[in-house]
Amino acid sequence: MMQRKMRGRGVAASWYGIARTATVDRAGAWAELDDGGTAKVVTGVTEIGEGILTVLAQIAAEETGVRPEDVTIGDNDTARSPEAAHAGATRQTYMIGNSVALACREAREKLFTEIAAHWDVEAATLVAFDGVLRAEGTNLAMSMAEAVDICKKRGVVPVGSGHFTSHGTGLDPVDGSGRPWQAYVFGTQVAEVEVDTVTGEVQVLGIWAAHDIGRVINPRGVEGQIEGGVVQGLGQALMEDYQTVNGHTTTHGFAKYILPTSLDVPEITSVLVEDPDPLSPLGAKGIGEPALVPTAPAIMNAIHDAIGVRIKSLPASPEKVLAALAEEEARQDGAVAAE
Amino acid sequence: MPEIDLSLQVNGRKVTRRADPGQRLLDFLRDELNLTGTKEGCGAGECGTCSVFVDGKLVKSCLMPAAKADGAVIETVEGLAKPGTLEVIQRAFHKTGASQCGYCIPGMVMAATSVLREAPEASLDEIKERMGGNICRCTGYSKIIEAVELARDVVSGKATPAALEEDGPGESYIGTNVRRLDAPSKVTGRLKYAGDMVMPDMLHMAVLRSPHAHAEILSIDTSEAEAMEGVACVITSEDVPGTDGFGVFVHDQPIMARGKVRHVGEAVAAVAAETETLARLAARKIKVEYRELPGLFSPEDALKDGAPVIHDYAPDNLVKHIPIRKGDVDKGFAEADLIIEDEFSTQQVEHAYLEPEAGLAYVDADDVVTVISPSQNITHHRHMLSEIIAKPINKVRFIMSPVGGGFGGKEDMIYQGMLALAAMKTFRPVRLVFTREESIIASAKRHPSKVRYRMGLKSDGRITAIKFEMLSDGGAYGMSSEGVMRKAAILSCGPYEVDNIQVDTRAVYTNNTPSGAFRTFGGMQAQFATESMVDIAAERLGLDPFEIRRRNMMRAGSLTHTQQRLDSASIDRVLEAAERASNWEAGAVGMRGPERGDLNGPGTRAPCTLGARFERPAGGKEKVA
Ligand code: FES
Ligand code: FES
Repeated sequence: MMQRKMRGRGVAASWYGIARTATVDRAGAWAELDDGGTAKVVTGVTEIGEGILTVLAQIAAEETGVRPEDVTIGDNDTARSPEAAHAGATRQTYMIGNSVALACREAREKLFTEIAAHWDVEAATLVAFDGVLRAEGTNLAMSMAEAVDICKKRGVVPVGSGHFTSHGTGLDPVDGSGRPWQAYVFGTQVAEVEVDTVTGEVQVLGIWAAHDIGRVINPRGVEGQIEGGVVQGLGQALMEDYQTVNGHTTTHGFAKYILPTSLDVPEITSVLVEDPDPLSPLGAKGIGEPALVPTAPAIMNAIHDAIGVRIKSLPASPEKVLAALAEEEARQDGAVAAE
Repeated sequence: MPEIDLSLQVNGRKVTRRADPGQRLLDFLRDELNLTGTKEGCGAGECGTCSVFVDGKLVKSCLMPAAKADGAVIETVEGLAKPGTLEVIQRAFHKTGASQCGYCIPGMVMAATSVLREAPEASLDEIKERMGGNICRCTGYSKIIEAVELARDVVSGKATPAALEEDGPGESYIGTNVRRLDAPSKVTGRLKYAGDMVMPDMLHMAVLRSPHAHAEILSIDTSEAEAMEGVACVITSEDVPGTDGFGVFVHDQPIMARGKVRHVGEAVAAVAAETETLARLAARKIKVEYRELPGLFSPEDALKDGAPVIHDYAPDNLVKHIPIRKGDVDKGFAEADLIIEDEFSTQQVEHAYLEPEAGLAYVDADDVVTVISPSQNITHHRHMLSEIIAKPINKVRFIMSPVGGGFGGKEDMIYQGMLALAAMKTFRPVRLVFTREESIIASAKRHPSKVRYRMGLKSDGRITAIKFEMLSDGGAYGMSSEGVMRKAAILSCGPYEVDNIQVDTRAVYTNNTPSGAFRTFGGMQAQFATESMVDIAAERLGLDPFEIRRRNMMRAGSLTHTQQRLDSASIDRVLEAAERASNWEAGAVGMRGPERGDLNGPGTRAPCTLGARFERPAGGKEKVA
């Protein structure tokens, strides 16, 4: 006999490709080490909320030696910035991030060449970090602001450009063979649910989400992507359902189209696994889309673990859960009767 | 319309204005006072993006007539902190990374402020319940809730203000929790999204949409609308100077219906007028004569012989079929000890980004047609628009405004073309802001998909063959269907190395709301089926679900379903990490819940019963809006 509240756990694994699919993906960026020890980075992107501007500022800071808050970024204008293309396909960190890294390296190299000559040291000994430039093995140090000033007085504006390519190939039209991506990520999520066998309501109480994202640029940002992806996956698993009748929607507002709220959210434990990409300067891959893939199947597998029925048609609404339970009960009764 | 005098206090300043009596407080704040930090996510009291304090009480300003606020004291997000500074709650949002797209954030900050004011010692559960009337589509709420807890602790003295400071960089800025650079502008409501932007001399656009799912357009009479005072222009597909058609893969969608409509909500004509109200009024004056055509509402029907044809170029209603073949499936099934077959389906899903579509277009002094919008692909949109308006690429300029949530739903150029045309026709800036209803009926959804699955396995759990067939409803236009089918096919059989594979994914045209790009681009629908099948197989074979996945997982050197050799595959590491983090108790798949020892441990929350969370109901008057 089943109790009213039943708990269970399920797991699902997943994989995903980074950047545009089955094509040559590319992006470009420009960089300049600017007055006052700041950096100007010109790319064709802005935020869609994923945190790309902060990620790019971190990358520019790391590559040039200024601080992230000293980076000016985000131009998102086809008439003023190089091609960045699509803000999607889990490609921002990979495509634009690597372009920015390469552009910044070129600008830094110009600066380092001038400062090395100024100090009469090898350029290879120079290190810049957090607004200060030093020559290793010496006491020589100056602020990035001074460094840019000296570089410019020597007649050089330290600018750079960079582009990055992801070499995908199209699929064969007959057997589908091909190399759609050069970088792949993998993920696994475990869900713990409680099912109310009287109302059919499912609550997700915990999600453990382990994802490979390559090298992590901003851990909190990655967690935010995982949490957002998990909750969208949960919405699709349990409640969201766009409905039409003869092409007319019957879910035309948020009163009818039900979305997860803060009350539906499980505790989410993110585990960031780093398997750096060997084909790119940064080694970072991505997380935007892959975070959502395993959530719904992990929840469905957990429902099965809890109450012994499998929901194969999303969403697992209370009505569907109750119907599946009733069907299972009838099946078992039938089996008993047949014995 | 008779106007009324309003006198109120807003953010500490006295405001006196004449207002239209029907105006909502939300419009009064946004349009009259330019306080655009207060957002309209739904206009129906369902999302909380418009939250403000009226006489100290948190109110959804989209539901309140401005007239009712006469004499009231109003506080908006702009008034929480002195310009250039942040309140504790805003700093906490900044610290925890609570803002993503930011569109819900002003409302969230207001709701959180209300929590701190009314229940300064609120427990985690009470915070969640009090914030339950505010929707966020990006963050999964976790970091927002964390921010409220942090602010609560700082305010109560349980945590020091230092807890709000940024972590130092250590030795590198990579791998560091640098705070989001865009957060201050989002938590203060300062950031302007396209719908918040105004230009001098700007016109407002309203769109006339199809009431039919499939109909021939016999005539469009715009004369009455055009003759109205304050109407600057009316546009239809006749006004398109170049080659009409856009789409991420096939350019099968005209910027306004041409000859026929293919789904309810499709744009048919648009008006640009001095005010939004006038534009909507004029749009209703456009007369369109339709002849209804038989519609297709299921993908199975679309494939039947003699089914109505939706696009002439595709007489079989097929948008795209992607096949993948690897090895020999017959041989694989012959070798199997167990063969299981099943079917899975996923529903149509709305992106529900909190920012409805909006854009602003103008023609600049160099004759460059410029469109500002939260487009997820300005590079491609510029190409398509240049063909549509027959101008060279350098005379078309797209500026991507901050996107208030996209998730793939803002990749389709469903309104930018109309804005460009109206700007070209009037040489004035034109702005269009969708209502939530428009956004829902006119924008693409996640493909609803059905999968028929056949899997063969050895008794040790090794998969010997998979036959996977997916049929997806692409809706009325191609949009991203081709790419979604491709990605679904490539990823279909999951992170497993399977020697014998036969995969077919198909998307077809119907007269339903179009399906398009949506976070995972088909990967979710396909892998839902695979991960369910693997669990069913584990149940039949008496295997632990982690174990069956390990026996099949890809490794360095594996050949993927598209026969790509992998140099590395981290699936072993993520399986182990999830197993360990969740303290997974190994055991064969079955109804194990009642016997499990790993339930209810760290990493889970308590189940909730709505309304049972308030620990200290204040005189029984506590109520969550
Ligand atoms: S609740 Fe007012 S706009 Fe959504
Ligand atoms: S950050 Fe909440 S809706 Fe985007």
